[in-house]
Amino acid sequence: METMEKTAGTTTASTSSDVLLEVRGLKMHFPIVRGIFGSSKGWVKAVDDVSFDVARGETLGLVGESGCGKTTVGRSIVRAYKPTGGIINYYGIGKEPVNLAEVEESELKAYRQDIRMIFQDPYSSLNPRMPVFEIVGEPLRNLFSMSRSEMEDRVREALVRVGLRPEYIRRYPHAFSGGERQRIGIARALVTNPKLVIADEAVSALDVSVRAQVLNLLENLRKDLNLTYLFVSHDLSVIRYICDRVVVMYVGKVVESAPVNDLYSTPKHPYTEALMSAVPIQNPALRSLETRIRLKGEIADPSNPPSGCYFHPRCRFAQERCKVEAPELRPIGKDRMVACHFAEDLSLKGAVMGHAAIL
Amino acid sequence: MNDTLIEFKDFRLHFFTDEGVVKAVDGVDLVARRGKTLCVVGESGCGKSVMAQTSLRIVPKPGRIVSGSIIYTTKSGEVVDIATLDPKGTKIREIRGAEISMIFQEPMTSLSPMHTIGDQIGEVIMLHQKVNKKEARERVIHMLDRVRIPRPERLVDEYPFRLSGGMRQRAMIAMALSCNPSLLIADEPTTALDVTTQAQIIDLMQELQREYGMAIMFITHDLGVVAEIADDVAVMYLGRIVEYADVYTLFNAPKHPYTQALLSSVPKVTVERQPLEPIQGMVPNPFRRPRGCTFHPRCIKAMPVCKTLEPSLVQVGPTQVRCLLYEEQRVQSRLPAD
Repeated sequence: METMEKTAGTTTASTSSDVLLEVRGLKMHFPIVRGIFGSSKGWVKAVDDVSFDVARGETLGLVGESGCGKTTVGRSIVRAYKPTGGIINYYGIGKEPVNLAEVEESELKAYRQDIRMIFQDPYSSLNPRMPVFEIVGEPLRNLFSMSRSEMEDRVREALVRVGLRPEYIRRYPHAFSGGERQRIGIARALVTNPKLVIADEAVSALDVSVRAQVLNLLENLRKDLNLTYLFVSHDLSVIRYICDRVVVMYVGKVVESAPVNDLYSTPKHPYTEALMSAVPIQNPALRSLETRIRLKGEIADPSNPPSGCYFHPRCRFAQERCKVEAPELRPIGKDRMVACHFAEDLSLKGAVMGHAAIL
Repeated sequence: MNDTLIEFKDFRLHFFTDEGVVKAVDGVDLVARRGKTLCVVGESGCGKSVMAQTSLRIVPKPGRIVSGSIIYTTKSGEVVDIATLDPKGTKIREIRGAEISMIFQEPMTSLSPMHTIGDQIGEVIMLHQKVNKKEARERVIHMLDRVRIPRPERLVDEYPFRLSGGMRQRAMIAMALSCNPSLLIADEPTTALDVTTQAQIIDLMQELQREYGMAIMFITHDLGVVAEIADDVAVMYLGRIVEYADVYTLFNAPKHPYTQALLSSVPKVTVERQPLEPIQGMVPNPFRRPRGCTFHPRCIKAMPVCKTLEPSLVQVGPTQVRCLLYEEQRVQSRLPAD
């Protein structure tokens, strides 16, 4: 562990025995294929050298805007993709870690019950032709050889856990509202008794009143079932609410990681600051203050990223060095990492500061 | 001149489906003021998008206007009731695009993938103004420049798929504003965008509003966005306005339990973790609207009378609110709803 931490900078959990998942230098590059012969015309570096730890029982947030690679990280961990490079050490089974990035497809079954995923869209992620029993029970059938009655018991149990009536077991998805469908998706993830749940924008498609219900449900389930979450989202308010620690990504790279309150009160990377500043706040009195940071331009293209620090064309603090030299992710303060040359010199505004100004 | 640009009066629009009648909009009184931003807030199914579509008479079948009027004053000072116009007639065609225009949530689905940006925006301009193709093209480039699209003279010949989400939304705004409308209807225009892009688009809309002076009717579910841009706010629930006030009053002193619950059920970026108070239950099935106050099954302040007596919209200070908590007299005397 010690040596690994030194070489691959990351946010580390307090003690190494607490680590459930260790991601080191993860790379996922997709070829850009053109023409009928499928010749590769370059690479989209969706995830490029990403490292972080997930501690047992914590909720780690992975936040960033579209195209930053946060979803690809999640999908690499459940091995929907075979990563181009890097290590995904899983400490859930036995004493020795298993590198999920290298495990053969045929050997993945054992991990697929341990690491489960919740998806964003409760409408398209459930098969409309399957009753709830089949949707929630399918992983049991695929991963275990289980009798039908045993399966039915497990499915009913999972439905009760997520706050749905077990009688709904024969119904089809169309009979449910968005919030209920998301609960079905959560039941499907939990039915195998997983240790790690990857929630990819799990509440983003829900109405505001239902969103709070599902967030509270996820939080209660984590406590009751000793779950660990990797919570992937673009929504900084939701991340703040549910996460213990947060990893911020920009164009395939980690730019900052920190415990949640540290990140929101004193961001160390200019991108984190701008991201927080862009979130509309429910207070009309704040708008006249004009303290908002507005980013210029657009998110960089991961197939053709800028030189040096990927954020430099949009960064209000950018200097010559940023154009030529890519910053390493390095420790700054307790439990924090940042990838910015000038992190120590900047005094950035957190989300709390803007709010305190009017109180 | 009067401040009112468009006014909905006791407006009702119902969908007559095989399974029953959906009262999508059921008795709405609403005013959009000249040069101001009116936000219509609510969750899915509250009727906010139907309100927007009605203003252009593009409500899909089987939706039908049941009663009420939409009084609109044109640029030339003519007063028309949009609710009575033939949706395929010449009058509404003169209004669409030139007087009232609209932008949508997903700009990719509202721009044609088969035509260049320049052709699509140029078509709108040539439809409403007596200009030739060359002049229209010049105007398109000017508009693209106004919405701060870089290199407009090149982008004018591009197809929409070549643009990012934020750029497509800018192109949509350019198209909507190309004939200098009096009213811009924006139906969740930033919901599909990233936060930093959303911030850019909101800034842009406000800047263009100052410059062109159009009124904006902004449909959204995001109270943060409302706090940022609204002058007036109408909160809708199941086809009715439950609270209507200026933005400062609404956020500082929300009156309706639904508004209060909406505000407290959203996690906030500025606040450390504290338990959220979700609204219990969910938006009811539109075919089975609750009796009495339609919000009562989910309301933490519900009284027995809420199950039977329909609240009416009453004035409380600067706020209009539809809740029996503010109708003591009626509750006591149990008068029937008007």
